[in-house]
Amino acid sequence: MAETTVRVAEQPALVLAGYVGEPLRDLEAYRAVGGYAQLEKARSEDPAAVIQQVIESNLRGRGGAFFPTGRKASFIPTPDKIARPIYITVNADESEPGTFKDREIMLKVPHRLVEGCLIAAHAIRSKQIYIYIRGEYLEEYESLQGAVDQARAAGILDTVDIVIHRGAGAYICGEETALLESLEGKRGQPRSKPPFPAISGVYASPTLINNVESITTIPAVLAVGPAEYAQIGAPPDSTGTRLFCLSGNVEKPGVYEAPHGITVRHLIDGIGGGVPGGHTLKAVMMGGSSFPVMTPDDLDTPLDADSLGAKGYFIGSGVVTVIDERSCIVQFALRVAQFYMHESCGKCTPCRVGTRWLVQLLRAVENGTAAERDLELTLDVCDRIIGKCLCVLGDSAAMPVASCVTKFRDEFREHLAHGGCPFGADSQLAGLFAPVDQHAHTTVPQEASV
Amino acid sequence: MTTFYDEVQAIRARYPERSRSAVLPALRLAQEKHGWLSRQALEEVAGALDLTPAYCYSVASFYDMFQLEPAGRHTIEVCTNVCCGLVNAQAVLEAFERELGVGPGETTADGEVTLRAVECLGGCSTPTIVAVDHVYRQSVTPEDAPAIVAELADG
Amino acid sequence: MSTPELVRVRVDEREVHVPKGTGLIETALAAGIEIPVFCYEPRLGDPIGACRMCLVEVEGMPKLQAGCTLTAQDGMAVKTARSSQQAAEGQNATLEFILVNHPLDCPVCDKGGECPLQDLTFRYGPGNTRMSFEKLTFEKPIPISPTISLDRERCILCYRCTRFSSDVSEDGQLVAANRGAMSVITTFEDLPYSGAFTGNVTELCPVGALLPTQYRFEGRPWEIVDVPTVCGLCPVGCNVNATVREGKVKRILSRNHPEVDEGWICDKGRFAFTHLRAEDRLTQPLQRVRRHGLEEVSWDAAVDEAERLLREARGRIVTVLSGSETVEQAYALAKLLRVGLDSHQAMLPEEVSGALDAYRLPLSAIRDADVVVVLGDVPVVERAPVVDLWIKSARRRGAKIVHDAGDEAAAEAERVVLVWSGPGGRGGATVAKLAEKLALAGREGCGAFYLPETPNGRGVADAWAACCDEEGEPVESIGLLVVSGDEAAADDNVRALAEQADATIVISMYGGLSAGWADLLLPGTSYLERDGTFVNLEGRLQRLRRTVVAPCPDELEWISQLAARFDVDVAPYAAAVFGEISERVYGGLAFGEVGERAPLRGYPEAPEDVGSQALPATEPKARRGEIRLVVYKPLFSGAAVERVTELQFQRPQPELELSAEDAKRRKIGTGDLVTVGSNGSAITLPARVNRQLRAGIARVALEHANGLGGIVEVAKAEAEVRA
Repeated sequence: MAETTVRVAEQPALVLAGYVGEPLRDLEAYRAVGGYAQLEKARSEDPAAVIQQVIESNLRGRGGAFFPTGRKASFIPTPDKIARPIYITVNADESEPGTFKDREIMLKVPHRLVEGCLIAAHAIRSKQIYIYIRGEYLEEYESLQGAVDQARAAGILDTVDIVIHRGAGAYICGEETALLESLEGKRGQPRSKPPFPAISGVYASPTLINNVESITTIPAVLAVGPAEYAQIGAPPDSTGTRLFCLSGNVEKPGVYEAPHGITVRHLIDGIGGGVPGGHTLKAVMMGGSSFPVMTPDDLDTPLDADSLGAKGYFIGSGVVTVIDERSCIVQFALRVAQFYMHESCGKCTPCRVGTRWLVQLLRAVENGTAAERDLELTLDVCDRIIGKCLCVLGDSAAMPVASCVTKFRDEFREHLAHGGCPFGADSQLAGLFAPVDQHAHTTVPQEASV
Repeated sequence: MTTFYDEVQAIRARYPERSRSAVLPALRLAQEKHGWLSRQALEEVAGALDLTPAYCYSVASFYDMFQLEPAGRHTIEVCTNVCCGLVNAQAVLEAFERELGVGPGETTADGEVTLRAVECLGGCSTPTIVAVDHVYRQSVTPEDAPAIVAELADG
Repeated sequence: MSTPELVRVRVDEREVHVPKGTGLIETALAAGIEIPVFCYEPRLGDPIGACRMCLVEVEGMPKLQAGCTLTAQDGMAVKTARSSQQAAEGQNATLEFILVNHPLDCPVCDKGGECPLQDLTFRYGPGNTRMSFEKLTFEKPIPISPTISLDRERCILCYRCTRFSSDVSEDGQLVAANRGAMSVITTFEDLPYSGAFTGNVTELCPVGALLPTQYRFEGRPWEIVDVPTVCGLCPVGCNVNATVREGKVKRILSRNHPEVDEGWICDKGRFAFTHLRAEDRLTQPLQRVRRHGLEEVSWDAAVDEAERLLREARGRIVTVLSGSETVEQAYALAKLLRVGLDSHQAMLPEEVSGALDAYRLPLSAIRDADVVVVLGDVPVVERAPVVDLWIKSARRRGAKIVHDAGDEAAAEAERVVLVWSGPGGRGGATVAKLAEKLALAGREGCGAFYLPETPNGRGVADAWAACCDEEGEPVESIGLLVVSGDEAAADDNVRALAEQADATIVISMYGGLSAGWADLLLPGTSYLERDGTFVNLEGRLQRLRRTVVAPCPDELEWISQLAARFDVDVAPYAAAVFGEISERVYGGLAFGEVGERAPLRGYPEAPEDVGSQALPATEPKARRGEIRLVVYKPLFSGAAVERVTELQFQRPQPELELSAEDAKRRKIGTGDLVTVGSNGSAITLPARVNRQLRAGIARVALEHANGLGGIVEVAKAEAEVRA
């Protein structure tokens, strides 16, 4: 049973700085590689100056939205402007299929996350930090709790409190307002925005929400200096390094820190050793399962937001999942759609209804009971979901499905012509069971089949 | 001995007054105690938090990790999302089905093991990820299934 | 209050000026443009933007926006589906999605014809369906209580009902379960949705998912007529519509009076109407015949007999009123008895005082208060249910709710409202004194309420007092007791009086209440069958309408007939009777001017104390360590409720509520059996610890009190130990 490969693939080492195979879970070990020095430095500075440095570095959110981290912090009102506590919430609900980097941060360099949190707390003058970690992450929770406890014992928290709040199995809680609802002890259904969390977040108070990797990068930003950081990667917009999540049909999958701007091909072939067994790459789940799939002709696209964006892709949470020719793309689209149907919170109509409808349509294609007009209908249903939902989950279901139908239309048509899947049982994804078909929460009698 | 009620009050103290933030931790605690969130378990949680059982049920039913039906003493959770699926997750799931004689979502007749398929567990580079009693096993193959099941039977 | 800033908003081609922050739905309405909605309902709190029916295009925003979540900002330009292709497509998409799973059972759906989903589909929806797969199916309908049916297939998950349950009534019983497409509305396990306000969800539901079971297959929208009236079952006087088909009341709906009820009514007001058709309803007069008991007689004979009894007892007649008579009935009776028969003595089941007239304000002012002082130990919801919703609304808006008029918060706050919720309170005189102490008179948003036990006690007392200036001598021995109304007829104290009287006339809807002791029983009518006026606990004069014809003559009709025999002129029509009393009490207001949504008018001459003699009530004070038992009349009780099978589940459990302090001292926990005793008699009940209750107070519903009251001993029952 192999361990996950986690390493710095291309210099500089920022998020994983100091990590060379042994997890830096011990406070002293972390201190030995310069840990908490940036916190000490930041605390000696004016909070506004700290925010300014993050703004200058142009660090952007690593959770998927790529929003400028420093600017987000600058939206938080200062305590003299508001008579409520100011909160920091760290999004450690890593659940995007293909994403496994935050988990490795919490396992390998948990103290750096704590340090980042405390720097952010100083910058926005917050005294309370909640780290919302997905419920399935047990070892990660223990590792992180250990780091927090050590920091507390060493007096590093000072007047700041950190509470690690465990989720309970709901992808949607990675959406920031759903996370807040869940943290407040409710069903994790996203809120309508505005108000934005910076003004009214958790407990109706100003709240800064950041992804684990974003926060963990802050000490690195301060360490190299904002100007220097802004030169790394693919400036001006995609600065710095990030932890790419390489998985699927690839020789050496793993979490690789590398600067923005390396190409997809370099990540897969150069760092990842290419597709194994003489197979050929068919598609890439780029950014996560929530985004359009990448076709082989785009493999030379640099992994930065602008280059990807120009071709209709998203960098997302740094996911690159390789799919080789042995997999049926309809099965892929179906399994992705099933995931979103399962994870739709049920609050808004287009997502709740549309995700189920997409599953029904794709299943009909896969079974060969669909007709050409169903492909058009599938695209239209996607179109009717995109941009009309309360949060981005609906779009996340519709974008990959629509991209599959559009980019692999011939394969879809083959299903129609063939009266079923041309791969038969040979596709790697054949018959893949989805949790949505499991009667997990059906104490109320109902028809669950789709 | 601290009672469930007291434990919940201690959790409550971590969060602002009058917030409901202790609901998830309290439900987890109750599930650990009862094995699943029975009617009685939900009523206990509600009582300890001054909420209605309906509210607690509503919240619990939203999250996959809460069991609203009797569950086994052990759980085997197989990731069947895309990344693991590309590297044979379905075969791993089927191996466990054969080994346990139950389908996904079901519990063995002796009430020992619940088998479930789950969405991405975030271990995509070491497929297939199988969480055995919530502890991840990485790079699990169909051939590993008998040993894992045997391990639970011994434990 | 400062005038809010006006902002300019363009909606489609029209421009409007509205106060900044006005909701976009309302802003568009001000421009005469409808933005269709399902989940949006401002009475439920902040908008949630769930249904996506209200998608609009907003200048400067790339994506369509849920209009309901936006507020008017200066210079905002909005395009609705009328002028934006994108918005029209968005709405069309939403409707298509909603209809994907919605069954096409409109022909057999009670909501059909008055269904927002039907209407909006008609106006904005797709003409055909592209959904060729199986719809989600559920077992249907499911009774979520004896009064409400749930059809999950029709549910469009707008979350109005669950928001009502969590954010308005705060009962937390009706919830959403599961996630995504599998989401359903449910209660906990097999428990019925119970509480004072559950029925409101049937009106909030924009489809036929939550429906009143009583109305199932009872009428089509084109066969019914909604008659506007006022509920007569409690002193709030919620404005309601009675849905009538073929001369029968089929359903009660709210009729939103924003100052009184905000469109919420309680389940008693909503579901108890079937008492009109109760099997034991009296339709013919009954007369006691020696050795034969009560025998049916003709109305002519009954009026003759009444005349005889009245004549015989002239000057020695005592009248007991229920406080549920209309102002006109009470006045007519008063004129007959006081002017015609020189019998001035009347009793009400409770004291009525005019002392609060200086502190009047609409109930909606509670919502806007900074501090609400709730006094008394009878639960507000049991006496005047909707007042409880106003108090909850105030708390949600940040008001402090305190239970001591001496609380510092009350002295410091700007807007203070007092609410007295019995027992005692001298008809409001006590709370008026407290209001005076806090100098609330004339202060904006400040005032006081007294929650009486009777729906129209004030109106009845006013009418009785205003009819005649003479006072008369107290009656030494009762020649004739005239008992008006079912509440009085059901009162044990009244029965005791009847036993002292030479003869008794009872006006009652149900014979059983007084069959043992009445000499002449005259069938009475219900508030749903009367024309007239009521005065609610705010002092608001409101109009009752005859929604259906009673199965017996109207009271005014035979009182008028009887009065004529004593040379007293009483008109048989409410309008005329009202005109007469209005000259004396309501400043000459004409019957037609009372209003469909009546304003809160001042009394031209507020009488100092309009109270007539009240029935005896003793309220001994508890000393330290003692427990005083508060016995309250539950909301779900009384002659009407007793006759509605489907409301029985709402009646209070046999239990004794104890304060946390008293329970702890006696080592009693919720569910433990306790004995409650005084003067040698005792009852055993399960206890329930209520953290809201003051120490020294225990509480029990009247029907479980077994006559106990005052200072009691409470102890854990012995049997419990063995069990």
